[in-house]
Amino acid sequence: MNGMHGIIFSYEKKTGLRELIEHRVHGSIPFAGDYRVVDFILSNMVNAGITDVGVIMHGKCQSMLDHLGSGKNWDLSRKNGGLTLLPAFAYTERRGGPAQFRGRMEALGCVSDYLAHIRQEYVVLCDSDLVINLPLQDVLQTHVESGADMTAVCTSRPGDSGDTYFQLDDTGRVTDTAGNLPEPAGFRSLNIFVLRTELLLALVEDCAAHSEYSLRRDVLQKRGTTLHIHGYVWDGYAARINTIQKYYSRSMELLRPEMRAELFRPDRPIYGKENDAPSSYIDPSGQCVNSLIADGCDIQGSVKNSILFRGVRVEPGAQVEGCVLFKGTVVKRGAILRNIIADKYVTVKENGTLMGHEAYPLVIARGTEV
Amino acid sequence: MKKECVAMLLAGGQGSRLYVLTGDMAKPAVPFGGKFRIIDFPLSNCTNSGIDTVGVLTQYRPLELNSYIGNGQPWELDRANGGVHILPPYQSASGASWYKGTANAIYQNIGFVDLYDPDYVAVLSGDHIYKMDYSDMLRRHKAAGAACTISVMEVPWAEASRFGIMAVDEEGRITEFAEKPKEPKSNLASMGIYIFTWRKLRQYLIEDEADPASENDFGKNIIPQMLQNGENMVAYRFEGYWKDVGTLDSLWDANMDMLLPGSGLNLLDRRWPIYGRTPVCPPAFVGPEADVGNSAVARGCTILGEVKNSVLSTGTSVGEGAGVGYSVVMPDAVIEPGARVAYAIVGEGCHIGAGARVGAPPETAEDPDQWGIAVLGPGTVVAPGEIVTPGTMLDRRHSEEVEA
Repeated sequence: MNGMHGIIFSYEKKTGLRELIEHRVHGSIPFAGDYRVVDFILSNMVNAGITDVGVIMHGKCQSMLDHLGSGKNWDLSRKNGGLTLLPAFAYTERRGGPAQFRGRMEALGCVSDYLAHIRQEYVVLCDSDLVINLPLQDVLQTHVESGADMTAVCTSRPGDSGDTYFQLDDTGRVTDTAGNLPEPAGFRSLNIFVLRTELLLALVEDCAAHSEYSLRRDVLQKRGTTLHIHGYVWDGYAARINTIQKYYSRSMELLRPEMRAELFRPDRPIYGKENDAPSSYIDPSGQCVNSLIADGCDIQGSVKNSILFRGVRVEPGAQVEGCVLFKGTVVKRGAILRNIIADKYVTVKENGTLMGHEAYPLVIARGTEV
Repeated sequence: MKKECVAMLLAGGQGSRLYVLTGDMAKPAVPFGGKFRIIDFPLSNCTNSGIDTVGVLTQYRPLELNSYIGNGQPWELDRANGGVHILPPYQSASGASWYKGTANAIYQNIGFVDLYDPDYVAVLSGDHIYKMDYSDMLRRHKAAGAACTISVMEVPWAEASRFGIMAVDEEGRITEFAEKPKEPKSNLASMGIYIFTWRKLRQYLIEDEADPASENDFGKNIIPQMLQNGENMVAYRFEGYWKDVGTLDSLWDANMDMLLPGSGLNLLDRRWPIYGRTPVCPPAFVGPEADVGNSAVARGCTILGEVKNSVLSTGTSVGEGAGVGYSVVMPDAVIEPGARVAYAIVGEGCHIGAGARVGAPPETAEDPDQWGIAVLGPGTVVAPGEIVTPGTMLDRRHSEEVEA
C-alpha cells in the first residue's frame, strides 16, 4: 500500500444556504465556533496520514483561498506534495465561459494534468460540505481488503430525498444507486469515494471522451454493473451542510456533549486555522449557559444555548438565545436576539430586537448593522 | 546578513522561587493568562517592535521551552534571515562551561550576534510580563548616542529598596546605580531590559570574562563597570504594565491583572497583540448549570460548575457542583464534581478528585500569617475528598510536600 491522495470538491453548486454563501463557497462556511466546514474533511485526511491534497475550486473561492493558505494549519505545507489549490483555470479554456461545473467528473477532467502526477496508489474523493470525523485509514484498509474497484462511504441514517442512495447486498456490494427517490431507502451516500489512482484516471478520460460529467449518473449508475463498488457504512457523526435549517439544527446539536464527543475526538483532532485571540472574558454581570464559546469573546450580557465564534462582544443587558454568532459580531446594550445566525462582523444596535424561529432561523448577512 | 538590532532573551533561569511549577520546565515556559506562556510576552514584544532576530539563551530544563518555541512560527519568527534561535551552552575546543551568569551567556554567544553584525543588541528577560515597544527605546538610545540604555519605571518609594535603583540627571543620563539600596536616592527601578551599542558591549563582555573576580552578571558587573568608566548611559522611562513574575504571589497577581479593566494588561486589549502557540481543541463549553463570572475562559475548557474571578487555561474542565474562585488553573487540569478550589495555582494536568478542597479564602484562615496561595505542581493528583490547606505546595510527581 502506497498511501492515499485527497481530492476535495469545493466549487459552487445549488444549495439552500442563501446569505451564508453570498461571499463564499459552502466549504468555507464557519461552523462549530472555530472552524470552517472544510476543516473537518481536511483533518480527516491528515489524520489518516494523507500528505497530498488537491482542492478543486470554482466560483467564490476568495474566502476558501484565505482560509486554506499554504495548508500550514493542517501540516500540509510540504516541500513535496502538500496542499494544492486547483482553481478552474482549465475550465474556461475548454468550455469557453465562467459557468459552473456540471458534475464531479467534469471537475476532475479539468484538473487531469494534476491527477496525472498523483504519486499515491489510491485517491479519496470528498465533498467540502460534510462535517464528519471519519477514520479514512480504515476506509482505505477496508477498500483494499474487499478487492473492490471503488468504495463508497454511506450511512444508514436517513437524509433528504435529493440525496443518493445505495442498495447493498449481504457482502456490502452496491447493487443499485438511485437519486431523487420519493421515499429515501437504502444507504445514503456521504459522497466519499476511494479508488485506485489509475482507475480514476481511466474513468476521467472515458467520461471526457463520452461527454459525461456526472459521477452519480455516469459512473455509479451507468458503470455500476461493470465496476465492483463496495459500500462502507459509517453511522457516526456526519452532517451535510446544504440548507440554512440544516446548518442551524446541526450547529445546535453540538451543544449536546455526546455529539461533541463524536465529532471532537482526541485521537482524531480537528485542525482549524490558527489564530491569536486571547481567552474569552465572561463578566460578573454576564450570564452564560449551555453555549460554545470560541476565544477572544467579551461576554457582559446573557448568552444561552448559543454558539459564539471568535471575538464576539455581547454588551451588558443584551440577551442572546439560540443564536449562532460568527466572528466579530457585536450585540449592543439591551439588544435581544433569538434564533439568529449572524454572519461575520454584524452589529446589532442598542435595544434592537431580532427574532427568528427554531425551524426557520433568521440570517443576518455579513457586515450588516441592524 | 546585517541586522540593525538583535535581541538576546535570557531564558535559562530555573525560577526557583516558583518552586513546584518549575520542577520540569524553565520559568519562561510556565503557562500564563489562559492561552500563553511567560515567554510569549518578550517574544511578541520583539515581533511587534520589528525585531526579527532573537537568540533565546536556555540552560535549565529546556525541553518544554524548546518544543514550545519550535521554529518560531507563532511569533512570525520563522524567517529566512534571522528568526528565533535557541542557544544552549555548548562545547568548544578549549572546553565547555555552563552559562556562569547573564553576561557570560551573551559572551559565549558573541559568535551568534556577530553573524548579524548588528549595531545594537537588546538584552531581555524571559520572565517578565509586560507590553513594550523596543523600537521606541531604541530611538531613545540612538538619539542620546548612548552606549547603554536601561529601561526604568517608577516604583513606590517604600518598595524602592527591593529593586536596582537608578539615579538620573535632568537629561535622563544615569549617574548612579545601586542594587537594592537601603536608602534609595530615587524611585526609578531597572526593569532588567537593556539596549547596548554592540561594539561597546562586545568589548565589555570580553574584558569582564577576563576578570576572574567577576560574577559575569549584567546588574552586578557590566553595568557598574560601564558607569565607572564614564560611558554614556541613559534611562528609558517606561509607563505601562510590567511585572516580574518570579514569585508565586506575583505570578498569581499578574494573572488576576488580566481580568482587571485598566490594569494595563487587559486580556482583550488587541492594540499590542501577544502571540502564542495554541493547542488544537474545540471552543469552550459552558454548561447549562454553569455560573461563570469575571473569568477568562480558553478554548477546550468544559465548565459545568461555578467559576469566579479565575483564569482557566486551555483544555481544563470543571465538573458539576465544583467551584473555582480567585485561582489560576493551568492547561488540561481536571477539577472533578463537587471539588472546591480557592486562591490556588493549579499546575498543568493536575487532577483534583471529587469533593476535594484546595486552598481557601484568606478571611477563613484562623491564623492570617499562615495563610497563602495553595499551589499544585504539574500533574499532581489530589484524592477525592482530600484537603489541601492554604499555603501548601504539592508536587506529587517528584516528592510530597515542598517547603517554601
